[in-house]
Amino acid sequence: MFSNSWNNILDWFRDRSERSKLVRSFNESARNSYINGIAPTLLKCKISKGERSYKHQFSNWLNTGFRIQAFTGRTLTKEEIIHIGEVILNDDFLTRKLVVLGWDTLEIHGDKGTYGCRWQLKDYIPLPNYKLE
Amino acid sequence: MNDTVVQHSLRIIENLKSHTSEGADNFNIWLWIAIAEFVIIVLLILFKMINVKPSKMQLEKEEAINKEVDFSNIINSSFNSTELYKVLIGKCHPDKFATDPYLNAIADKLFQEITQNKTNVKRLEEIKKEAKDKLKINF
Repeated sequence: MFSNSWNNILDWFRDRSERSKLVRSFNESARNSYINGIAPTLLKCKISKGERSYKHQFSNWLNTGFRIQAFTGRTLTKEEIIHIGEVILNDDFLTRKLVVLGWDTLEIHGDKGTYGCRWQLKDYIPLPNYKLE
Repeated sequence: MNDTVVQHSLRIIENLKSHTSEGADNFNIWLWIAIAEFVIIVLLILFKMINVKPSKMQLEKEEAINKEVDFSNIINSSFNSTELYKVLIGKCHPDKFATDPYLNAIADKLFQEITQNKTNVKRLEEIKKEAKDKLKINF
């Protein structure tokens, strides 16, 4: 019982650190791409509340949303927002990493906040039915 | 009178001293027993932690976390993959090489890879290079 609780505490801290690292890496790459002219819009990601109904077995207790927002540069069209979502969801490594680190919702928003898209991550990665130990 | 009071006080102090020294010995023994128990509990916990086998869920989690993600490719693909994809499917379609079965087979394989990697600019660039070498396409 003690070892399980101790491992859970360690996992919680490690997951928090990995989540922050992922967000930082994404934002750094997005910034560099915008500065170098590869991306016409500056994207920024952050952890959001998420959608409770999208929960899966790896989901965090709170804040399960991975939100990407366009900040500056030209406005993104709806098709572009959907395309960004497709690019992320087609990358198996990234989607798997998002799922195991506790995220269950992918959200992409334009800079004006008028519209955005949301995806349920577990639809894109098959999750086996693990018994909770 | 003062002497008897002083002697009496000294006797009390001596008695107190002897009582506290006995108590101090007892206290030391219990302290060592408590320390030993604490060390045994910590060792048992550590031993159990070392011998716990990770579950399948933990192994999958570990594997996913250790994989590096190429974010620069993802950002690049988000804005530049559609254009490159359209150029490649236009130039590498197998029907353009219908007369030559060898080139047709290569174009077919490349076309499948292009459709599978529609949103991956890095891989599309590699396919473009391959198409340039094998199919002699001028982009």
